[in-house]
Amino acid sequence: MDSSLHEVWQAASGSPFIPTIGKGSQFFLGFLLLVIGLALSGLFALNRSVVNVPVLGIPASLAVAFGVVYMFCGVGVYV
Amino acid sequence: MKTLAVFSAVLSLLATASASSESKTNLPSTFKPPQVFKNANLVHVVSVEKNFVKENINVLIENIDKEAQNEYYLPFTGDLMSRVGGFEVKDRKDAALGPFTVEAAEFDPESANSSSQNSDIQYFRIRLPTPLKPGAQQTLGITYYVLKAYSPLPVSIAQDEQQYLTYSFSAYVPSVYTTSKQKTEVKFPSSVIPDYTKLPGSGDVKEFPQKQGSKLTYGPFDEKPAGAAEPVEVRFEFTKPINHVSELERDIEVSHWGGNVAFEERYTLYHRGANLSNLFNRVKWAQQQYYNPVSYALKELKFPLRVGSADAYFTDVIGNVSTSKFRSNKREALLEIKPRYPLFGGWKYPFTIGWNSDAKNFLRKVSGSSYVLNVPFLEGPKQAEGFEYENVVLRVVLPEGAENVKYLTTIPTSSITEAKVEIHKTFLDTIGRTTLVIKARNLVDDFRDRELIVSYDYSLMASLRKPVIIFTSVLAVFAAAWVIGGVEMKFSKN
Repeated sequence: MDSSLHEVWQAASGSPFIPTIGKGSQFFLGFLLLVIGLALSGLFALNRSVVNVPVLGIPASLAVAFGVVYMFCGVGVYV
Repeated sequence: MKTLAVFSAVLSLLATASASSESKTNLPSTFKPPQVFKNANLVHVVSVEKNFVKENINVLIENIDKEAQNEYYLPFTGDLMSRVGGFEVKDRKDAALGPFTVEAAEFDPESANSSSQNSDIQYFRIRLPTPLKPGAQQTLGITYYVLKAYSPLPVSIAQDEQQYLTYSFSAYVPSVYTTSKQKTEVKFPSSVIPDYTKLPGSGDVKEFPQKQGSKLTYGPFDEKPAGAAEPVEVRFEFTKPINHVSELERDIEVSHWGGNVAFEERYTLYHRGANLSNLFNRVKWAQQQYYNPVSYALKELKFPLRVGSADAYFTDVIGNVSTSKFRSNKREALLEIKPRYPLFGGWKYPFTIGWNSDAKNFLRKVSGSSYVLNVPFLEGPKQAEGFEYENVVLRVVLPEGAENVKYLTTIPTSSITEAKVEIHKTFLDTIGRTTLVIKARNLVDDFRDRELIVSYDYSLMASLRKPVIIFTSVLAVFAAAWVIGGVEMKFSKN
């Protein structure tokens, strides 16, 4: 028990937590990122070269990474 | 045969081990509270208006010792001790002093049983914020709740009959100090009180109690020695359900990515009232809804949630229960649920409810990577007849990687049995989420609005853990696809 927390709560009254992406756009953003990720993966599948692993793989992985997180949130499983 | 003997020996060893770990040895078994106080005047208010008993003892205490004293003891029997909760003490004349420190000072039950005297008495120890000087007086307002307090009489009734309950207590307040003057008031839900113990009066009054509407008054009594008791029993009409939650698991899950706080509550609800004397008759029940809707069965529960709550659900062991209404707007968020069947005495109904809310309603950013969360400790139903909780397990699931967890709750500290931080693993987790678990006992719905404040640190690196894990996994798949794609699978021509 920390008795000072009440003051901490009061002092922070001006800064409520606002997420980077609001609830309304999480599904759309997640879907968009996953589509981009899938498209880039498709491009990579057409031309599997060592250069394309970073050139297409990194943006695709980034899109999938954030896309998965936002798609989870967008469908109501708030991770 | 030999294996059996070994097995039973191991079992008995285990039994002793678990017994010794549960008992609290705060006081020696020969302990008797020192006679340093006198109760100069005492008013005991027993309220049986709801399905738990609320007892209020307003007592003017006086230090009769030669030295300043700060420990006041209140005795309870062992059985009552396990059912008492929400114990709070305040100074009636100076509210600014805030709630006093109260702790259960328990004996080692085994050694207490071996000694003949006071074998079943346990104490609550109240610490006065400033020691009371010799001869000085202070007015204490002691409030506590008794759960599982009533027994129905008759034990079983028809489904359209009135329910009557009995409650036993002492007309004199159990005290370890001499009480100069006292009276006990009993408040009932209605003026229908068919039976109550009558005591010989004193002074102008011929007989106690005196009845005024829905109130009985035993006393005022003259000086009573320490430990004096006068058992009385009252029987009164209570045609309302006796809601008892044997276990409530309340989960609060904070999501920074989603900007959401998710609530889920799992109830194991019992009706502790009179049992049905005949089989339940659905036709009779439907008729009764029209000509006499007052019943001791539980038909509906209303949960007034915080404004801004959304996506409410109500399920039980079978699945979704469609008989629920959820109204959420700018002014209120009211969840009304009807159990699958009306709940009669002795029946059980386990169910789950849940809802979401925007994080901004409960979560604030303190500075840098530090956050503070303020949520209600309890948010159960608000019923006219009250609601009691025997065991409450509250879990605050913080984001993965949160650290430096601190908490503060305005629930009486004597009701909290355990508080710890552990790990909870769920979707997309690698190391698991930091979870604050608080266990409490014997709470009632009067504590609905008490808050729980949790502060924690959550760095940017910790918040990026989920996308980073997915990123590296997917990139590894790309690399693997390239490596595997390069493996020559055809037969060579040369």
